[in-house]
Amino acid sequence: MLKYLVKRIFWMVPLLIGISLISFFIMHLAPGDITTSEASFNPKASEESRQKLRELYSLDKPVIVQYGLWMKRMATLDFGTSFASHQRPVFWQTKDKDGNVTLGMIQEALPITLLINVLSLILIISVALPLGVVSALNQNQLTDRSITLFVFIGFAIPGFWLALMLMYWTGVQHTWLPISGLQSIGHENMNWLAQITDTLKHLALPVFISGITGLAGISLFVRNGMLEVLHQDYITTARSKGLSENRVIYGHALRNALLPLITIFGLSIPGLIGGSVIAESIFAIPGMGKLFFDAVLMRDFPVIMGILTIGAVLTLIGNLIADIAYAWADPRVRRGVVQ
Amino acid sequence: MTACSDSSSSSQTNNKIDYTKNYPPSNGGTLIDAMTGEPSGLIAMIAGESAASAIAGNIFNSLLKYDKNLELTGELAGSWDVSDDQKTITFHLKPNLKWADNQPLTSDDVLFTWQKVTDEKTRTPYGSDFKLVTKAETPDANTFRVTYAQPYAPALDTWAGLHILPKHLLKDQDINTTAFARNPVGSHYYKLEKWKNGQFLKLTRNENATQGQAKIDNLLSRIIPDKAAQFLELSADNIDSMGLNPIQYARIFPARPDLNKNIALYKELGNSYTYLGFNLKRKPFDDVRVRQAINYAINKQEIIDGVLLGLGEPVASPYKPGTRWSNPELKPYPYDPNKAKALLKAAGYEDHDGDGILDKDGKPFTFEILTNQNKEREMTGVLIQRRLNDIGIKANIRVLEWASFLGRFIKPKEFDVVVLGWSLSLDPDQYSIWHSSQQAPGQFNFISYSNPRVDKLLEAGRLELNPDKRMKIYHEFSKILLEDSPIVFLSAGYGLTAIHKRVRGISNPAPPAGIGHNTYEWYIPRAYARNEMSEH
Repeated sequence: MLKYLVKRIFWMVPLLIGISLISFFIMHLAPGDITTSEASFNPKASEESRQKLRELYSLDKPVIVQYGLWMKRMATLDFGTSFASHQRPVFWQTKDKDGNVTLGMIQEALPITLLINVLSLILIISVALPLGVVSALNQNQLTDRSITLFVFIGFAIPGFWLALMLMYWTGVQHTWLPISGLQSIGHENMNWLAQITDTLKHLALPVFISGITGLAGISLFVRNGMLEVLHQDYITTARSKGLSENRVIYGHALRNALLPLITIFGLSIPGLIGGSVIAESIFAIPGMGKLFFDAVLMRDFPVIMGILTIGAVLTLIGNLIADIAYAWADPRVRRGVVQ
Repeated sequence: MTACSDSSSSSQTNNKIDYTKNYPPSNGGTLIDAMTGEPSGLIAMIAGESAASAIAGNIFNSLLKYDKNLELTGELAGSWDVSDDQKTITFHLKPNLKWADNQPLTSDDVLFTWQKVTDEKTRTPYGSDFKLVTKAETPDANTFRVTYAQPYAPALDTWAGLHILPKHLLKDQDINTTAFARNPVGSHYYKLEKWKNGQFLKLTRNENATQGQAKIDNLLSRIIPDKAAQFLELSADNIDSMGLNPIQYARIFPARPDLNKNIALYKELGNSYTYLGFNLKRKPFDDVRVRQAINYAINKQEIIDGVLLGLGEPVASPYKPGTRWSNPELKPYPYDPNKAKALLKAAGYEDHDGDGILDKDGKPFTFEILTNQNKEREMTGVLIQRRLNDIGIKANIRVLEWASFLGRFIKPKEFDVVVLGWSLSLDPDQYSIWHSSQQAPGQFNFISYSNPRVDKLLEAGRLELNPDKRMKIYHEFSKILLEDSPIVFLSAGYGLTAIHKRVRGISNPAPPAGIGHNTYEWYIPRAYARNEMSEH
């Protein structure tokens, strides 16, 4: 197992270099750079000035040279500074000679996105699991059909529309929840309890919206997994041995039905940090999705590469964790790994 | 320090407040508005985007500014003289100017700012105008003098756009990387109190402002990228002001009396116009009769009614109607399909094969209308397509993402016709857009317009600092441009703003400079101030 792990981790290095190389070149295939943003289609900004800007950003050099420069920086884990947002560090905070600390863009956006996604994952699991199980146990009955209908509505409903409807209902018609943003104005002046309540109130809708689609998928997945397992011979055996129904379902069937979920959650780790552009834009949340979207529109290469690199690292780690967890959960896989 | 209530609770109480009462101007209160994007920094010469200019404009001063009628007047400069040979401009600063940190603001700061904007190492796209200055000097602390190699009439406009920066804080800093961009010290009505990344920027009144004191204590700009969310925040009384789109202005507001009770609507002519531009290097657009025919074939009023829901005006020149540069005699081409057909016939286009599409030399008259992802421009394209179809021209529409649009099509001039917009210029100089020398890739005369008479007028206009003489030059230029039809002027949309009725002192109807020209005079009567978080 250890040898397998070491080998897997070792292989990540060339994989990461490959991913970064492809990302870098694809990014440069798109026309335009930071100097082509809308503001620069401005007769007050002359072509010579823009050319000078390109030189200052090293954008006039061949792509391979730019990649070399990027790799050289990355060797010391320096993600650089953003082109578009006044010299803000892409990844982690820096301190200038006067002692001013500037927070990194990813450092600021990541915890927000992570919090929303972890909360929505908790929401998904706590709702989708019972729904899927209940649905499977009542296959083709009214309960099952109602749940399936709910699941399909969850799939089909456009997130942005639902978000706006809920914002209107809970924020304008009734003043139960804030409409957008992450914190109220004057959040700092509240006591810690009020601060937590304030943040949770702001997070309620974004978490619900980002959970709703996933919820539909996972509950359907659990239902089908359960159904498949319930028809296996060992379940019939367990029942014929006279085990209680609860023991059969929760002790034997559910555990096996959930095994594939481990892979799904492992693979969803990079998704946890990816954020959602739509939800973050609608709710005015400065998270990773919005950060990446804006960076792509502005052709802010250091930020794009920073997010892609971190995303790639996490994807590889997610895959590794999924494999390890799967091996841990399923002895057959474990034996295969050892061999 | 006390926390009162959060803003959401105020909406219930505000519905009961009568906003029709009159109150005398008073100090205090917070104005909350929303913006879709976050500024990258607050040094405008480096940031460049509109969000940065909007915020920085409240923090920094320029030497000159435009008054409510869009005439130049002094801001930091009390007056200015132009030498007889029109090459030297001397600015006389107002006495006793101060920075927000109480340090004196002198001509040294102006000189420093000029040195920074022209410095090769400064990452600014706006340096070229200032590099025309051959000599900049400060004879005394209140005088700043610039000399140009030859008279340069747009100079005054450029000095109205350059925010003066404090030398004492920036002299040892790298302007490209300085923390000052996020923690600026200016001289205007407000100073930055707090910038919460991705959430809001809060400005408070600058007690040391030497241009006078603003009445409203705090300006808070929330960053809300989605316009629909902004509208919900406005409806819930969590923000006081936002820019509306025509549907919100013309459809939603009239249907919602509850909103009208609290929120006032303002409209003013915006600062840009939409146009259809021809690639004059391609046939048949090199033929003026074809361009004029298309101009006659497009129903501009239909575009204003259909796309802008009537909230716009036709334009006939690239100048803001109502300003001195706009030639009042010029009228847009009327919608006249018969005249269009006659002109096309004169140019050799007729439907010889009876397929409903005009042709010449066996080739049908078809082309592609290119535009970027902008709903209003796309809809404009569709209406134009239909009208052209009526007279036998087949046009296809192609919509592209902005950077691809510029990089793949505009720069290499790989297009037939574009639907785009230009700003309605406050300074009349449009040399870089229309002069025949400005056609290289990346330059702004990408439609390749070339007319020796226009070239001469544009050159003369740059050398003339007398506004009356300049006006004549640009009136003539606009007349030729309209006749030549290198572009079809389509419409100028109104800027549509919703502002809560608690905010008073707003000029309505708006003067040419727009409702925002006197924001320092806006006030919020104490009775209407929202129940805010406040620090005591």
